[in-house]
Amino acid sequence: MLSIKNLQVSVEEKPILKGLNLEVKPGEIHAIMGPNGSGKSTLAHVLSGREGYQVDSGSASYKGLNLLEMAPEIRAREGMFLAFQYPIEIPGVNNTSFLKKALNEIRKHRGEEELDAIDFLSLIKKQMKLVEMKEELLKRPVNQGFSGGEKKRNEILQMAVLNPTLAILDETDSGLDIDALRIVAGGVNKLRSSDNSFVVITHYQRLLDYIVPDFVHVLSNGQIIKSGTKELALELEERGYDWLLEEAESKV
Amino acid sequence: MIQSTSIFSEWINQQIDSDSSFAFSETVRSPSLSKLAKGVFPTRKDEEWKYTPLNDLLTLRPVNYDLGEMDEESIQYLKQAMPESHTIVFVNGEYSDAFSDSPSAIEDQGLSITPLPELEGAALELAEETILNSTLTDDNIFQHIALGLTQNGLFIEVDKNIECQTPIHVLYVSTAHGMTGFTSPVNVIRVAGNSHLKVVEQYASIGEAAVITIPASYVHVEDGANLDYYKISLENAGTNHVCNTIVKVARTGSFKSHQYLLGSNLTRSNLEISFSGPSAEAVLRGVYLGDENQHLDVRTYLDHAHPHCSSDQHFRGILNGHSRGVFNGLVLVREHAQKTDAQQANKNLLLSRDARVDTKPQLEIFADDVKCAHGATVGELDSDALFYLQSRGIDKKEATLMLTRAFAAEVTQEIDIDSLQAYVQEKISASLDEIVIPSV
Repeated sequence: MLSIKNLQVSVEEKPILKGLNLEVKPGEIHAIMGPNGSGKSTLAHVLSGREGYQVDSGSASYKGLNLLEMAPEIRAREGMFLAFQYPIEIPGVNNTSFLKKALNEIRKHRGEEELDAIDFLSLIKKQMKLVEMKEELLKRPVNQGFSGGEKKRNEILQMAVLNPTLAILDETDSGLDIDALRIVAGGVNKLRSSDNSFVVITHYQRLLDYIVPDFVHVLSNGQIIKSGTKELALELEERGYDWLLEEAESKV
Repeated sequence: MIQSTSIFSEWINQQIDSDSSFAFSETVRSPSLSKLAKGVFPTRKDEEWKYTPLNDLLTLRPVNYDLGEMDEESIQYLKQAMPESHTIVFVNGEYSDAFSDSPSAIEDQGLSITPLPELEGAALELAEETILNSTLTDDNIFQHIALGLTQNGLFIEVDKNIECQTPIHVLYVSTAHGMTGFTSPVNVIRVAGNSHLKVVEQYASIGEAAVITIPASYVHVEDGANLDYYKISLENAGTNHVCNTIVKVARTGSFKSHQYLLGSNLTRSNLEISFSGPSAEAVLRGVYLGDENQHLDVRTYLDHAHPHCSSDQHFRGILNGHSRGVFNGLVLVREHAQKTDAQQANKNLLLSRDARVDTKPQLEIFADDVKCAHGATVGELDSDALFYLQSRGIDKKEATLMLTRAFAAEVTQEIDIDSLQAYVQEKISASLDEIVIPSV
């Protein structure tokens, strides 16, 4: 599904990712944890095709395609989805028509017929229940005037409607209270399948109480310094990151 | 400073001497004619015209003969903005009996719509009095051209306590087939106490030739009355459109103006509003959209001379190619205009490196208990928003279009005539479809 090999990325000449390796297979959930400034969000942005990141070496392939050469919209049409840490407010663009447009672009790419307004509405209403979102938010401009929790639910709603094969959740738990966290995680869990994969980027373990990962990786200073199963996340919760960082340094 | 030798001003002098039938009596015309005789056009040395050159306009020489017929199909196309309205059509400055709804078909009691040449007696006096009671701060020559040379236009009058249900759609069409046309319609609108009226003025041209359009409108909104006043300008790329709109709003009156300036080579719109009593309001909205070498200049002047009045302005510019926008808004709050609430915003979106905008919002406040704010921005599309749309599968061109349309929609969504809102949004979209190319 996703294969990242020795990925080195810099921002304004400053190296951020320094040789990152990651293999994600269909149906797997990978959690990427790490302290602030370790390169978690950079990874999410590079994978989704945001400008401003210089790939110095290494490769990233998705479904066998060279991910790094694809425009962001092509990545999306091929089934990738990034849930933003800070979803963008877009005044004047209606939430529903935006999402309908996005879905139909993806369907067109797959050679499927575009959904008309009626079919789309019945789809979106079904998926809204998944994230317990208020219907009035559909009529508003994208994310405008949404609370922090509503924005994150809107991300998960988009994910549910677009039905990606690989979803990257960039600190989706940040700024969420426990109820919102449960709803968002519930949405993710309902979308889990043997075909879909998730990369869950998070600073805290608590999201992983709700979205149980198959693998946990610790990112520090641009590299994955430890990989394990969900028990690793619990250990991090108990002991913090410092012991791991020290362990990594002593190896160097 | 004096460009009395320009081709256009020579032509104007010939018109003064000709024996055409003009709309107004000497009382109205004389002061304007004496100004015109001097032939002084502003230059860029005049502060008010610093950013707006008149070179293109002044080298034009309009023709006085038949400019071509109007066909039914084109008129129907233009009428679609307002399917449910009283439609009054002018073709090349002449009132068209054939295309206009008959004034006798108007069902709203107390509403009268009269082409200027048909005015007589008390109605003519009232129309002229309305004009004479309106004065421009910027004593520019263009209102004198309109008052001195106009042969046609409309007088729209509503009696007291009338709620006019049907909007009035005034369509000024130029047929520009190879020859330079000239029109200078004058509109006089009076809405008497506690009455409500909606007027849509639409300017359009069929054909590609240069057209000069110099309208002037004089508006009185009396005590407790409401006027929604829309102006849609969508003339061809050869058009030079210079208009003046002078408005008086009396005690507790409300004037709402929407201006959508979407065409022409040169557009200059000057909108001046003064409150003649307390607790009146003015709401001004507008979008100007330019491409290639278009020049769009929007000026507003708000004179707060009485207490408890409010004004709220929101203008947005979208500029592509080498086009240029100018926004100049002055809000004057006089000493006795306490509790004034004046808001003014101008936002501009530059879609190309060579597009340019000069924006100058100004507040002059002489009262001490007021709430005033103004702001102007000039920027490009938000790259975060672009990326967000792309990350959902929408390509860059489409994302650019969506964001640009959205930028305009924040103003156009306030148009409260549904068909007109759809029409304006569609026209903006169509223009953007043509001009937005993927900047990959």
